[in-house]
Amino acid sequence: MGKLRLTERKKLLIYKVLLFILAFVLAFMPSTVSRNMEVNSRVVVEILGLDSGEEGITVTAQYATPTETENATTKDKVTVEAKTLTQAVEALSTALGRRAELGQCSVVVVGSDFDVEKLGTLMTATDVTADVYLVAAKDKASDLIGDLTDFMKKSGVTDADFLAYSAKKAHIATITLLNFLSDRASASATAFMPVVEMRKQEEDSGGSSDGGGGSDESNGGSGESNGGSGGSSGGSNGGSSGGGNGGSGGGEPPVGMKIEQLALYNEKGRVGLLEQLSARGVAWVGSPIEKSIIVADVEYNGEIVKDVSGRLCKKCVAVHVDPATGRATVKLKAHIVPNGDKFNELDSDRSAAVTAAVKAGFEREIESELRQAYSDAAALDCDPFFIGREFYRVAPDYYEEVYSQGTVTVDFDINVMLK
Amino acid sequence: MPENEQIADKRDGGGKIKKQSSGRQLVVTVFLLALATKMFLLPIFLIRAAGRDGYIVLAIGAGIDLLSLGAMLAAMFMSKDTDFFTMLESVIGKIATKIVIVLFTLFLFFKMNIAANETLTFYSDNVFAEFDSAIMVIVLLIFLAAVANHTLRALCRLNELLVPLVVVGIGILIAITAVTGFDFGNIMPTMRKPSEFGDAVTRHGSWLGDFTPLALFIGRTDLKKRTAVAASVSGVIGTSVVLFFSMVMCAAFGNLPTYVDSTTNISNILQFSVGNVYGRIDLFSSILWSVAAFVETALFFYATCRCVAYVIGRNSHFGIALGVCAATYFTQVFAMSDPTIFSLLMSNRWTSAISLAFTVAVPSAAVLCGAISARRGQKTAVKDNG
Repeated sequence: MGKLRLTERKKLLIYKVLLFILAFVLAFMPSTVSRNMEVNSRVVVEILGLDSGEEGITVTAQYATPTETENATTKDKVTVEAKTLTQAVEALSTALGRRAELGQCSVVVVGSDFDVEKLGTLMTATDVTADVYLVAAKDKASDLIGDLTDFMKKSGVTDADFLAYSAKKAHIATITLLNFLSDRASASATAFMPVVEMRKQEEDSGGSSDGGGGSDESNGGSGESNGGSGGSSGGSNGGSSGGGNGGSGGGEPPVGMKIEQLALYNEKGRVGLLEQLSARGVAWVGSPIEKSIIVADVEYNGEIVKDVSGRLCKKCVAVHVDPATGRATVKLKAHIVPNGDKFNELDSDRSAAVTAAVKAGFEREIESELRQAYSDAAALDCDPFFIGREFYRVAPDYYEEVYSQGTVTVDFDINVMLK
Repeated sequence: MPENEQIADKRDGGGKIKKQSSGRQLVVTVFLLALATKMFLLPIFLIRAAGRDGYIVLAIGAGIDLLSLGAMLAAMFMSKDTDFFTMLESVIGKIATKIVIVLFTLFLFFKMNIAANETLTFYSDNVFAEFDSAIMVIVLLIFLAAVANHTLRALCRLNELLVPLVVVGIGILIAITAVTGFDFGNIMPTMRKPSEFGDAVTRHGSWLGDFTPLALFIGRTDLKKRTAVAASVSGVIGTSVVLFFSMVMCAAFGNLPTYVDSTTNISNILQFSVGNVYGRIDLFSSILWSVAAFVETALFFYATCRCVAYVIGRNSHFGIALGVCAATYFTQVFAMSDPTIFSLLMSNRWTSAISLAFTVAVPSAAVLCGAISARRGQKTAVKDNG
């Protein structure tokens, strides 16, 4: 027995020695020893922009680099061009002289002419994760990133993850890379992205929500700077800072962002933009919004009370289809808390009739947004409520043999619960 | 019974053999075996092969495994005091048993390598992306060697300790799924491509046989009345968890079957669906539940070592563990490190057929030998009484 114990002890000693040797090897192997240098040899890409270029694909990256001040970073952008997306992503590292870390990228900006078929490569062949949010640029992604970089520098915003907030706390139809690809590959062959634009000084003071002109100006401004940074990888380091700063030099400096329109895609690519009302309609069904504001005209006692507002607390959406009749019903149940002076004035006598009128007003407004979204999207050969997909799930044979978007009758069943 | 096991099977005060595993430990081991490797790469292979029907293929495989679990539990109850090797010897003789155990050893070694490879792939692709897998495998082998140097009782205690971690990890993932409201509708419609489905069923049998190491529990488990029911329920719960998460993955990638790869596992699928709002909480839970895969690997490794010990007739724990470690290292680094070779090896009809054969044969042999031994015991008892 004593001999056995000694043997066990010896074995234990051998294990300890082996573990020590392993720990020693791991601690002092070349890659571990140089790890402190590795931190400085990386650059974190926060936003990635994709455009079609003359050579193939143009990739613009907004990146953060650490500064000597503790917890501080500076932001800049760089643009590279290559034949394929993977080559372009690889060229980013060369352009920056350090390894471009894409795992932290939280937003991908897609330019108007970019072939979204290639987005799959981003998910499968690069470090960009499938949960990255997609946004559309009205024109060039590189221009938008230039303006975003300027705005973030100016405002001191450090986190590029602005869409994660919008995803649930605002009435915006947001989408992640995986969901975009999945939606587009579904039977409905439709996907969307919110269009991000920059607010300019004069536009902001003027109160206009259109903003097309301002956006175009900014595109032109940062487009010039792109030329400097978008060249070969050798000159990109110098050019990148020029690119980042150049955006503000070309036009009015951006003072904020706006996300009002929605870019629609089908199997052909980007087919058009939905304006604000339709974009809101798509968000009701296609986005996990939790909070938003709804404003409606309420008819009470034969009078129209304009702009009665309410706050969305919760919504529940389902699309029901009936292959026998070829009808589809979009059912939406929304819990809304009415608020504001208009409502308070209406609600002064606290009658059931007021509640019913406000409820009807909100229901009309939501239904009009949904109808508008559906008709506008259908005109672009898109199915924003994924009715085709629902037919395919429930009755695949019907979908393959009979279904066409034009023959389906779509009903909207809106139920607002006032709190 | 090997020498060290005899030492380990100490007798209590009443002279009764103290078993290596308690009923509760068997139950938790069944739970871990039911879900461990089936939650790693298998759903990915199945989605690639059968698209959104991948979870149905998995359900068929899991059903076969549950049947084999039932047979294994029946064998345990038929042979409460005789271990698997002795039971086989008493029925088919020593030489035939050695031949059978050699084949069984090869199967266990194959299964152990699948589990090890999946565990290493998960960590090298998701957690330690730049860590050399040839070094990472050494860390795993040290753990496996340590397990093989101990008794089944030690491994069972380890399982008992780790199960709460696994349950918490899985609980977090289920909570995330509930919060995000996953689009389960995307698993429909089913069976739109019957030929692809059939192909997937016949090519992915290598993942069968997860309960075969339970052969070592025969005759060495302290079985209570409710142990069989509890172990069966545990197996069903583990399998249900696997099926649930496979459905989630099929729903996420049903439209994009070619987009899944080894970096795509149940954890980051949920992360993809939830967005960046909660950070990488999935990674934390993944590390917790992936402990189950370590346990499964360890159990297969332990079973392989014990079978080798039986075949060579020497119970040198350290030497055998070292030898199996060397063989495993060679297999992992030189044969299975290439994902293409791994997927070819794992997704062909030959390995599938062999795995299916062992999945059916091992519990069947155990039940048959258990029944024969039990009948012989009855006859002997009648003779003695007569």
